[in-house]
Amino acid sequence: MWFTVNIYRRLIAVQLKAQLQYRAAFLLEIAAAAITLFMFFGALALVFHRFGQLGGWSLAEVAFLWGLVELAFGLMDLTFSGFDPGDFGQRVRKGSFDQILLRPLSPTLQLLGADFPVRRLGRIIQGGVILWIALALLDLTWTPLKLAYLPLVLVSQIGFFGGLFIIGATITFWTVESIEAINIFTYGGSELIAYPMHIYPAGLRRFFTYIIPAAFLNYYPALFLLDKPDPFHLPAWTPCLTPVAGFGLLGLALLFWRFGIRYYQSTGT
Amino acid sequence: MHLFWAITQRSFQRHLTYRAATVAGLVTNLFFGLLRAAVLIALYNARPEVAGITVQEAITYTGLTQAIITYISIFGWYDLMQSVYDGDVAVDLLKPMNYFAFWLAQDVGRAVINLLLRGLTIMLIYALIFNLTWPTAPVQWLALVSALALALLVSFAWRFLVNLAAFWTPNARGIGRFAFGITWVLSGFYMPLRYFPDWFVTLCQLTPFPAMVNTVVEIYLGLLTGPALLHALLQQVLWLAILIIAGHLVLRAGLQRLVIQGG
Repeated sequence: MWFTVNIYRRLIAVQLKAQLQYRAAFLLEIAAAAITLFMFFGALALVFHRFGQLGGWSLAEVAFLWGLVELAFGLMDLTFSGFDPGDFGQRVRKGSFDQILLRPLSPTLQLLGADFPVRRLGRIIQGGVILWIALALLDLTWTPLKLAYLPLVLVSQIGFFGGLFIIGATITFWTVESIEAINIFTYGGSELIAYPMHIYPAGLRRFFTYIIPAAFLNYYPALFLLDKPDPFHLPAWTPCLTPVAGFGLLGLALLFWRFGIRYYQSTGT
Repeated sequence: MHLFWAITQRSFQRHLTYRAATVAGLVTNLFFGLLRAAVLIALYNARPEVAGITVQEAITYTGLTQAIITYISIFGWYDLMQSVYDGDVAVDLLKPMNYFAFWLAQDVGRAVINLLLRGLTIMLIYALIFNLTWPTAPVQWLALVSALALALLVSFAWRFLVNLAAFWTPNARGIGRFAFGITWVLSGFYMPLRYFPDWFVTLCQLTPFPAMVNTVVEIYLGLLTGPALLHALLQQVLWLAILIIAGHLVLRAGLQRLVIQGG
């Protein structure tokens, strides 16, 4: 265990050192990413003046959903980037995944340490700021349970999207080309749950509740934390499903990943 | 001119061969379109009209913008940049053709095939799901076609200018990501500009971005008529001229310092 942590730390340290070579360019890129991403929420806030609400939710309530998922997705992207289906597909195509398999170290660990794109800090900062604004505006009644639940939700979301990245990466063992459709679940899913689920047509909502359990990761936690009633009348313990959905998907993804590696055939390049 | 069309045709055919990518892209475009439509419907919350735009028009807007996303291609285009880093730029500059026209010809081919395959398909599928608004008067169709063509040219001139940054820095992708990133909101792609407060719209009008999306949208929905319509088209022409001149000047300065690595 200690060995694993140590190796991971060293892999990340190398990444950081490489990326910090051009410090000015690096800081500029983080700032630029934060500004561009923040423009979306800024635009929604401006438009809110005209409309006043979104599906019955206030701007602060939507900001809570938005900030939380953006923060989680940014953190996930930072740690799981080695599994990003697009980049990973390239690894399979070029045969550089074979190198990883030859090294006497777990391929999962190597990929976690293969990429640590610090420029994703832009997204993390943006998500964090929006969540912070939402919490400041909302004036929630905090209980010890809620205080403990919020970080659990964040970690579950990171696990959930990380799991989707791993599934997308594993599929490229067979397809070689990364399949663009997986983006609907990763990037599309994160955008979808940035808004309250009840605004979507029933088919879309059910798909992202019962097949891809994205609704349990943001919408149901928000209902619980903001003391809002559930329009779909699921049982009161539904918020407990958040870690089950998040870590369950990550666990299944890792099983699929191990299965994939066992059947992996190199492209020969 | 003959050369221009020959290149356009080649580019058209080249993009026609990526069928699987077209289908995958189509599905993604549709998914995001439906998502955006749901958000707008929820914002309206049964109100019939906001800022002169009805719900039906707002839904049509999400379909239209998703349909032209690959046509105008403003959210990421790094081909020219890449050719500078590869060294291909040396060969391209030797070609008996204006450098701007050479890239434009390829882009027109790419754009037209995407408008036909992806754009029309998205509008047709949208028409099956929703009750859409369509342009009616012949004049409106004429204006729409002109606005679409100008939008592509303005978008291309902007992308050309941004990509020229590669002549100065070895990593211009960051600049590109920023320059293309701000267009999502300022062009009126994320939300129709009419929803925004006046000061914000004025700010947007000081940039070339509304000429790439918002003008097309407002003409399609019939929000612009008479002098306002003419004014919007003229504004597109004006931005096109400014960006072409800027691109020409920047290219000239860039060529002074271009060093091609042998190999």
